Amino acid sequence: MSNPQSTTKAEPTQQSQPQKPPVLEEDDEFEDFPVEDWPQEETEHGAAAANGTNNHLWEESWDDDDAAEDFSKQLKEELKKVEASH
Amino acid sequence: MPSIFEDFKEGQRIGSGPRLAAALTPVAPAENPDRLKAFFYFSNSTRLPSDLRYSLFQATGIRLSKQEANSWIEIFSPYWKAVGEIVKFDEAPSHASWVKVFDAWKETTNMLIRGYSTNGLQAWTVPCLYIVGRYLRTFAQKADAELSSQDSVAFGDRFQDDAVTDFRNAKLEEATRVINRMFTLCLSDRASIEESRKWGIYDTTNLLFKSYFKLNSVGLSKNLLRALNASSADLPEMDAFPKSHIVTFKYYVGVIHFLDENYAEAEEHLSYAWNMCHQSAIKNKELILAYLVPCHLVTTHTLPSKKLLSSFPRLEELFRPLCNCIKAGDLGGFDAAMTVAEEEFVKRRIYLPLERGRDIALRNLFRKVFIAGGFDEPKEGQPPIRRTRIPVAEFAAAVRVGTHAKEGSRVDMDEVECLLSNLIYKGLMKGYISRERSMVVLSKGGAFPGTGV
Amino acid sequence: MSSGIPPWRATASATATTSLHSGHAAPAYIPVQARRSLTSKAAKPAPSPAAPLTSTEAADRKRVEFPEAVRKYVQRSFAPENRLPGVERREMEIKLKTIITEAAESKLLDQIDWETLPLPQVMVQNDRNRVLASPGVSSWGVFGTASPKKLTVVDDLSKKRKSVEYQGDANGCPPWRQTNSQNAFEDRITYPSTDKRQKIDMKNTSKSKANLEMRRKRFEDPNARHGSSPSSRGDSPTPSADQGPVVGRCQNLEKNYFRLTSAPNPDTVRPLPVLMKTLDLLKKKWKKDNNYGYICDQFKSLRQDLTVQHIRNEFTVSVYEIHARIALEKGDLGEYNQCQTQLRALYAQQLGGHPTEFRAYRILYFIHTRNWTAMNDALADLTAADKRDPAVKHALDVRSALALGNYHRFFQLYLDTPNMGAYLMDMFVDRERLSALAAICKAYKPDVKIRFITEELGFESDEQSAHFILDHTAEDLLQEKDGVVRLLTSGKAGQLFEGAKADAHRVVDIKGQI
Repeated sequence: MSNPQSTTKAEPTQQSQPQKPPVLEEDDEFEDFPVEDWPQEETEHGAAAANGTNNHLWEESWDDDDAAEDFSKQLKEELKKVEASH
Repeated sequence: MPSIFEDFKEGQRIGSGPRLAAALTPVAPAENPDRLKAFFYFSNSTRLPSDLRYSLFQATGIRLSKQEANSWIEIFSPYWKAVGEIVKFDEAPSHASWVKVFDAWKETTNMLIRGYSTNGLQAWTVPCLYIVGRYLRTFAQKADAELSSQDSVAFGDRFQDDAVTDFRNAKLEEATRVINRMFTLCLSDRASIEESRKWGIYDTTNLLFKSYFKLNSVGLSKNLLRALNASSADLPEMDAFPKSHIVTFKYYVGVIHFLDENYAEAEEHLSYAWNMCHQSAIKNKELILAYLVPCHLVTTHTLPSKKLLSSFPRLEELFRPLCNCIKAGDLGGFDAAMTVAEEEFVKRRIYLPLERGRDIALRNLFRKVFIAGGFDEPKEGQPPIRRTRIPVAEFAAAVRVGTHAKEGSRVDMDEVECLLSNLIYKGLMKGYISRERSMVVLSKGGAFPGTGV
Repeated sequence: MSSGIPPWRATASATATTSLHSGHAAPAYIPVQARRSLTSKAAKPAPSPAAPLTSTEAADRKRVEFPEAVRKYVQRSFAPENRLPGVERREMEIKLKTIITEAAESKLLDQIDWETLPLPQVMVQNDRNRVLASPGVSSWGVFGTASPKKLTVVDDLSKKRKSVEYQGDANGCPPWRQTNSQNAFEDRITYPSTDKRQKIDMKNTSKSKANLEMRRKRFEDPNARHGSSPSSRGDSPTPSADQGPVVGRCQNLEKNYFRLTSAPNPDTVRPLPVLMKTLDLLKKKWKKDNNYGYICDQFKSLRQDLTVQHIRNEFTVSVYEIHARIALEKGDLGEYNQCQTQLRALYAQQLGGHPTEFRAYRILYFIHTRNWTAMNDALADLTAADKRDPAVKHALDVRSALALGNYHRFFQLYLDTPNMGAYLMDMFVDRERLSALAAICKAYKPDVKIRFITEELGFESDEQSAHFILDHTAEDLLQEKDGVVRLLTSGKAGQLFEGAKADAHRVVDIKGQI
């Protein structure tokens, strides 16, 4: 009586699927440091500041790619389909 | 590595807590593989008390009050027994048992706690607490693993109304209860700060955090935070503590907030941990970043640069596909990347925040629609203005592109409107939908805030 | 930084674990005199189990004339109608012999109520479900000489005695032991059983209305096999810090629930065959009377009897499942969550039942209580096969639709909920309607037709959605224009819904902490 909808096609085709990601170490526990304390220069921040590498660690989540025209074309094609289906 | 008694002597002589704690460290390093054996075979169970008295005090010339000296003998007796059980793994593996190691070690821990609570021991020796507590956890976990070959789920006591209780972590739970007493021992010390056990508070808290995480009882960590908060006025400033204590503490506090979806607070603590972490502690840095990256995505909509992840190839591999799909507005790719890594994300407990990245991907996709729309006819003398009235159908077409919709499949216009309405509601897009005209009217000044258009 | 210098700063900064730098300077730190303080709570020795009771002179064997009651008991044991599938005659005989020998040796032949004492085959069956008594606990018996293997009988006869003294650990029950769920708070939530559905009284019957009728009947799954023999499973004894189980001998089907404060009395505990009849009775009564107070109480005593006898098998699973379904139907989330927590553990032991149905509920439940840590665990519990199950897939889709604010998808899913999930969704659907309305008011201008709201937010009729809007906002937000009612999506409307949304979410937060 309960008929499962859309389960038959549940297996997605794996054409362009990315690879399985790496598995991080099984034990995800924070490790004891080999030394108890360290000077500012040996901290991540201090060391990076000394090398001048503290910038550009985070970047914007959007991208103005050069393929804007491609997208425009694609969009127009799809638009025809959308309009055709309504 | 010097012998256990030498460590004890030196630690006492120079008043070094870490050196003293080394005496209570139950490992035989490669350069001194017989360290534990030598200690165990120096005596036998009948002669132990007098042998200990001799080796700890008479032979070393260390003079302590009678009470303190007795405390150490009470601690070293079960310690000797525990070491004996450890040595068995080398000499008679079939008779060796982590449960026995744990039991003897627990006794050692109890004696140490007693040493402090009866004031036999001085506060500078407090690093001993951490070392002993740390190995209590280690041995508990090994003992639980040993027991797990037997059936692990049992009935609770008979006053319970319901059937099942989980005993898989019985020893770790036992250990955690003992460490909890250490926490109180440190926090409730009323001595002046120079000679207070309060210096052990973060180390001890960290041991408890680790245990609660293992026991799947993260909620209990909040009780610790409350207790710490209530005593914060009596605690030294954070940066007076060794960085190893604080970085670990900040990491766990960050993760606790993270799991409650308090991402802003989580980010604050995790950033602190990141900045203060030792630069060569790669694994710990990786752990911090594993949470910091999803935090950043949620709070500031920013992504990790290649540079940031360059030392962490696994994180790079884990996060990069998502980041690329977000940037490209590739919804289908985003969903696929989430599915593929789902198990790992869930295990890491970062699935839920990462999922929110889909909104950013959607924003970027719709932003491309806006850019593709070009400019309206400029009014004379005015700079050109982008076309701000865009039919919903164009966004629907974009959703088809973004989700790699199949030929002939339908697109649900109401769902597209819902997606638009969400972006507007969340402030990722500025403007409004006119349902009558099936049109989106975008704001002339910054339709996609923070993205330059 | 007015604080002092930490002791270890003054000396070596080396790690305590291994390589210590030798040769550092003379101590910069002068050890202080040991202090006295008031906190001198030394580790007290753990209380030892109560000493063995005085031993009776056990084995003075003499010929005994068996009383009539004993002979009848023996007859009943061999009666074919009392045979239990799965218990061999030889096992039964051995048990029977043990029972009678022990009773004789302890001179209790006349004192035992043979009429109500469970038959040996029942004891054998219960033994299989039982956890081995740990050594050291065997001294509870009246018999004194009782060895662990005699515990079943000993247990029956020495009820009052054994309860209190023994404690495995001085500290008692750790917090994470008290409940099996991730969040101890959660188990304490008890919701008043206000069934929102009763308020719904609209004309335009929709799909969801029809679903209600269907749902009502589903507490009892037609495929459930709780009638079948439960003895085939759960027969591996497990170690425990606990005494052996009770073997009940109460023959009454019904029993009120009382919280145990001492060891259970076997006279008031019903053995498995009785409990199976009890379940059948309760199902009939529930259908007929729909009296939740009675049913809930009866199920709790049923669960308790299973627990004290250490019965853990497919029947146990079905008892929890049925109680969970009934609690769901009545909106009793506190009781439901207790069952759910137990079911999670029972499913982990592969005892049968309907794991995917309840894994789906679990996800919906954590959506309702907004417990994200627990949600993550619920996700982690799922296998690939679970995720292909329609009910689980539905619950996952609901979760992700809400996570992304996709109300369109959410309400489509709401109208098409498998099993009894709609009872859970009913608990948060209004909250999500308010969220959706807050978004709609901010995104649409200048107005939307009420029909749009009805369709988009899963209402049953325009009247119902209009009522809902008016219940939470102000009258002037609805206006008739060109013959249709419209919701004016003004800034004011947005604020009102935003406030109502915040209130609705807060309710759960507060409940979650009581």
